[in-house]
This record gives sequence, structure tokens and C-alpha cells, in this order.
Amino acid sequence: MSEAQQSDDIWHKRVWAAVVAAAVLGAFLGFGLIPLAQGGSAGIDPFSAICRALGILPGTPARLTPVSTATPQPVTQVAWTAKTLDEIDHGDRARGAKIAEERCVACHAPDGSSAAPNVPRMAGQSVFAIYKQLHDFRSGARVNETMSAMVQGLTDQAIADLANYYGHLRRGTSDLQNPPFVGSEVENLVVNGDVARGLPPCIACHGSRAGGPVEVPTLTGQHADYIEAQLQAFAKGERHNDIYQRMRSVASRLKPEEMHLLAIYYTGQR
Amino acid sequence: MPRHNRLILAHLWVAFLVLAGAACLGAWQMWVRSPLHAPYSNPETYFASVTTHGTSMAYVMTTFFVMGFGYYVAETALSRALPGANLAWGAFALGCIGAVMALVTALTGNASVLYTFYPPLIGSPFYYIGVVLVVVASWIWCVLMIVAMAQWKRAHPGEAVPLAHFGTVANAVMWLWTTVGVATEVLLQVIPAAFGWTDMVDAGLARTLFSWTLHAIVYFWLFPAYIAFYAMAPAAAGGRLYSDTMGRLSFALLVIYSVPVGIHHLFMDPEQSTGFKYLQSFLTGLVTIPTLLTIFTISASFEIAGRLRGGTGRLGWLRTVRWEHPMALATGLAFIMLWFGGGGGLINMSYGMNAMVHNTAWVTAHFHLIFGGTVVITYFAIAYEIFPHLTGRPAPSIVWQRRQLWLWFIGMMVTTLPWHWLGLSGQWRRVAHFDYADPAIAWWGPWVTVSFLGGLVLLAGALLMVGNLAAFHFAGSGTAASPITGFDPYARALTSVRRVPAVLNGFATWNWVLLFLMLIAYGWPVAQFFVTPSPAAVVHRLFEGG
Repeated sequence: MSEAQQSDDIWHKRVWAAVVAAAVLGAFLGFGLIPLAQGGSAGIDPFSAICRALGILPGTPARLTPVSTATPQPVTQVAWTAKTLDEIDHGDRARGAKIAEERCVACHAPDGSSAAPNVPRMAGQSVFAIYKQLHDFRSGARVNETMSAMVQGLTDQAIADLANYYGHLRRGTSDLQNPPFVGSEVENLVVNGDVARGLPPCIACHGSRAGGPVEVPTLTGQHADYIEAQLQAFAKGERHNDIYQRMRSVASRLKPEEMHLLAIYYTGQR
Repeated sequence: MPRHNRLILAHLWVAFLVLAGAACLGAWQMWVRSPLHAPYSNPETYFASVTTHGTSMAYVMTTFFVMGFGYYVAETALSRALPGANLAWGAFALGCIGAVMALVTALTGNASVLYTFYPPLIGSPFYYIGVVLVVVASWIWCVLMIVAMAQWKRAHPGEAVPLAHFGTVANAVMWLWTTVGVATEVLLQVIPAAFGWTDMVDAGLARTLFSWTLHAIVYFWLFPAYIAFYAMAPAAAGGRLYSDTMGRLSFALLVIYSVPVGIHHLFMDPEQSTGFKYLQSFLTGLVTIPTLLTIFTISASFEIAGRLRGGTGRLGWLRTVRWEHPMALATGLAFIMLWFGGGGGLINMSYGMNAMVHNTAWVTAHFHLIFGGTVVITYFAIAYEIFPHLTGRPAPSIVWQRRQLWLWFIGMMVTTLPWHWLGLSGQWRRVAHFDYADPAIAWWGPWVTVSFLGGLVLLAGALLMVGNLAAFHFAGSGTAASPITGFDPYARALTSVRRVPAVLNGFATWNWVLLFLMLIAYGWPVAQFFVTPSPAAVVHRLFEGG
């Protein structure tokens, strides 16, 4: 072996030795010494402490996992799992139309453009929003004298079918109108919210580029009376099927005139 | 003049024009966050702007600069024609198409994901496809750099690859390793979700794969600066490189210790265990070795320069360094910013202290100082150094070049030092508005305004940079007083370099070492998602029609 080759060989070995030594030291500290010391003082046995440090067992080796005694108080029975989304994806619009004809059209009209101001327009509503609200009426998470009765007996599949039927109808001319002018302060609430009151902008969730929660309803072109009534119901806590109290929190911080003007604003917004 | 000077100029011009545009957005963003009333201010516009600013600076400007500078080094340091010049032009076109796709999508508010790839937030597929095209362009560049080195080694058996190109190939090798993480995430998780082919996404796996890329991507940007420190700055300062071997060792260590450390970006995440967080924190600590080697070697090189130029005494050499040369000045200013930014980084990578600064303005301050400061100011100096060679014209005004470097330095310090302080006080990053009427945070207002003023200085610096470079194209050609022929920007080492150990003249060993480290550091953290799949998250699409 030439002198150059010998030198190369020594360098090669030194590099490996240094890297392996550093990695072994880091691993010994991270998976051995530290979890053993932490587990010892936290009352966790050595084996579990090492398994926790490795991520094979859940939790940290530094403390016992606290046991929660709180009972869950779900505001809805709908969970956005892959199964639910798949069910909605496979909803059948034709079957939905048939169910709507039997149960819904008297109030919501076949094209989803209800005339009564206290009955929400359904055409073009988010399929996820319709699914969740119908589900909530059925489970009792949301209560309405008429709707609670109308949805009884509907299966999950039937709800998905209905959601697909109304959700895929085109909206009427109200979509194309410009938003009525309701004052710059209210428009500012829509776009910027109000940091001082802890109010997020409406468009943070109710906008086409918002990416808010799955169940967020489309507000544009909705009846003003309906929106205002729902805001009031959220503010008083009469309606309480909003996950994490999002809308109860927002509505309780709005002034009555703001609710009124926001409702008008959304009647015309595209 | 390099044979493919137009190719190199095209890359550098794209880089600096994008930088100037992004600097405008950056200054406006600080205006929005300040108590002063900014035009067009609302959160939606702010987040679209942040995304465009970040995408421009972090993905587009850097990639084009790294590629352009790499081509320059391959032709000049190796003194041979660039292999695959047509491929390089193809990569340039691909990168341009990708950049336009990504930036237009972000600017129109259809990908306000803050230029990070953290599902379940998902922007428009055009954004991701655009970024992927830019990355594919960089992969072509990587292959060309490696081929150039292989050809040179065949023609010069047993000789040491010139340090500048050794560093460039180190960057190419590291970048190929680095992009495996984000490419896997984007191609298999993000793009299918963006197109609506999938409704659920494993956010933990996506974050882990992104972390694989997230630290080393900064070293991809940093490498040209380090190459300039070792291979150019000592000559600019009027001296010699103290040690060529230190440079090679630093480059190699940066390759192996920049990738298996990304979980330090996930310290506050629940999906990784404490042991792996500690291990990667430990490995991150080892990155300080090449950094300190570099600071030592370059300081020593500058001392040699100062003493060669008549400096005496313990610190007297500092005065006689050729600071009037833009590259020497930029290196000095870059080191000051590296001192503050590196110190902040040590706090970020410390598992315990990280909790104090997590998601605060401190983090923004850190990466602006290191990247926007140390790295970008060196990019400016590199451009000033090589533009005479590329255009065949001498610098129209060294004075304005120095002024521009000072503007950038002052602007970056004035912008980021208040961010550090506010971050320590809990100011959130990624927030458009603050309620300065709240007594608890009212005192932040003046400091944010100071940062806004710093942003304006940075904007002036960016625009002056474009002006300084444009001036080259309008200047007269070389004169007898400032000849362009015989241009050689590279520093000679103190002791001549003939043969270096094989491990410091290629990357075969380092690739195996890095594979070993990656298996230890990322093997189980990635595999766990397949052994015990975690509950998936619902995809949140942030674009019109999503």
C-alpha cells in the first residue's frame, strides 16, 4: 500500500470513528441516560422510560401521563373522519331529490330557494354544512320544532344524499348581486375582524379561500332574517351545536345592530 | 469571461429582480404589523404577501443564485467548459416557468400557506407544481455540478479538486439528500390533497418529512456564502486562505450534519418522541463545528491579509485589511450578523429553551439575520465580485457598492434586533394585526415601527443593488486602469495544495456516513407512521374552488 493510500485509509477510518462515536454518544444520552434519570425521578420504570424516549410507548419519560377524569360533552355526533367524508362523497343526488320531494320542498322549494325569510336557502349550500346540520337535528344537538321532526328516521346515507342534492343546485340571481352597503365598520368586521374584542374576520372561515372548519356554511345569498336569527341564537346559547363554541364566542361579542347589518351584508355578497 | 456568461447572468438577474420585488412586499408587511396605517391592509392580503415574499426569497431567489454561481464556479475554478450547457438552459426555463406558476398563485391569494408545507392547510396545486419545477431545475444543476467534478478529476488524476468547486459539489450532494424529504411529502401527500384526490392527510408524517428538508435547505442557501468566505474573501481582503483543508472539512461536515437534524423544528410537536428530539438536538450541536472552523479560518485569513498589508500588534491587523473591497466588507458584516443570528440559533436548537421562543418573532428574527443577513449580503458581494468578469466591464462605482452593503447591513440589524426582543416578550409571528390599544402590548408599537423603518432601509438596499448591477451593463468596457483580462477571484491557500486525502476530495464516504446518520435519526421517526398509523386530518384547501 502506497503512502497516499495509507493516508487515505487513516482518514477514512477516522471519519467513521468520529461520526459513529458522536452518534452513539447522542443516542446513549437521548435514549439511555436522560430517560433513565427522568423516569427514575418521575416514578416510571426503566424499561418504560426508554420505550417512551424511543417513541415506542406514548408519553414522555419525564412525567407520568396525567389521567383525565373530565367527561366529554360533545356538541355534535358528527366526526369528520375518512368514513364520514367518504359517505358524503358517495351521496346519491337522485335519491336525495326523491327524499327532498317527500320531506323538504314544501318549505325549502325544489330548487332550494325558499321564499320565507326565516327558512334558509339550501341551493348551493356546502354539502358538509347540510350534512352536519341534518345530522345534528336528528341527534338533538340542534333543535328546531319543524326540522327536528322532519329528519327523524333519516339514515346517514339519506342525509348524505340530501346534502348532495341541495348542495349541488345552482344558486339563484342573489349570487350575482353586489353586497349592499352596510357601512365601513361592518365591512371591516368581515375583512379584518376586531382584535380588541377578540373577533376574527368573518372571511377567516366564511370565504372561498379561508380553509376554515369543514362544516362552515356558505353565507352568501342567504336570507338576512335567517342569518340574524342564528347569530342571536348563538349569542344567547340557544343554539349550541358549534364545535369549540366558535360561533357562540363570536356572536356573543357582536352588538345587535352589527348582527343585523352583517346579515344584510351577506344577502348580496357573492 | 466564462464561456456561458449569458447563462450565469440570466440566473443572477432573475435572482436579484425577484429579491427586489420580495423586498417591497417585506417592507409593506412590516408596515401592516406596525401601529401605522398601511394601505391595502387586511389579513387575507397580508398572508398572500407573506407567502409570496417567502416563496420568492427562500425558493426562487436562492435557487437561481445558487445555480448561477455554481455554473460560474464550474467554469472558472475548474477552468473548463460547463458540461451540458443546453440542459442548464433547459433547467433555467423550467425554473422560470415554475417560479411564475408558484408566485402568481401565491400573489393571487390561492396558496396562503405561508410558504411552508404543513398540511392539513393546502394551497392550489399550481403553487406546489411550480415549486416542484424549481426544485427539478435545481436537481439538473446538481447533476451537472457532479458531472463537472467527475470530468475534471478524470483529467487531473490525483489532484485536489479546486476548493470552490468542491464546496459547490458538497452543496449539490447535500441538496439531493435534502430534497428527498419534501419531494416525498409534496408528491405523495400534498399534491394529491391539493387536487382533491385525497380528503385526509397524515399531518404528523408530512411535518416529519418537511423537517427532513427544513434545516438543510438553509445550508443550501448558505453554501455559496461559505464558498465565498473560503475561496474569495481572503483574496479580496488582500491575503491568503489560512487552510484549504479546513474548508474541505467544513463543507463535508455541513453535508453530514445539516440533514439528520431537522426534528429540532418539531420540538413542540407531539408526533416525535423525546429521545429522537434529543438526538437530533445533539447532532444539531455538531453543526457548530464547521461554523466555528469557518469563523476561525476566515478570521485567520483576514489576519494574514492585515499583516501582509502592514498591520501589527494584537489587533492592529484589523485596520489594514482591505475593507474597501466589497467582498471583504461584506464578509466582515456577514460575520457580525452570523454572531447574533448564530447565537439565536443555538437557543432555537436547545430543546428546553426552544419552548420560550417557539412561534414568536424571535424565530423570524433568527432566520432573517442568518439568511437575509449573512447569506444574502454575501450573495451581493459575490455578484459585485464576478459581474466584471461576466459583463467584461469594470465596476462603475465601488463606493455605491459599499453603500449598498452598509444599507443592507444596517437595515437588517434595525429590522431584526427589535424582533428578537419582542419575540422574547412573546410577540407572535405569522400574525397580521396587533391591538396596540391593549396596555399589555402597547409598548410593542414603537419597536415594530423601528423594524418597519429597518424594512424601508432594506428596500432601499435591494433597489440600489439592482441599480448597481444594471450599471455594469451601461458602463464602458475595461480600461488600462482597471483591466478585466486575467481576472481570478479565487484565493490561494497559505500552503500550496497538491494532494488531499481522498475523503476530502470526493463524497463517496460522506454519502455512506450520511446514510448511516439518516437511518439512525429518521429511520424510526418516519417508520412509526406506517407501523402505527396516526389518525389522519381533514384536508383544508385554501383556494378558490378548493
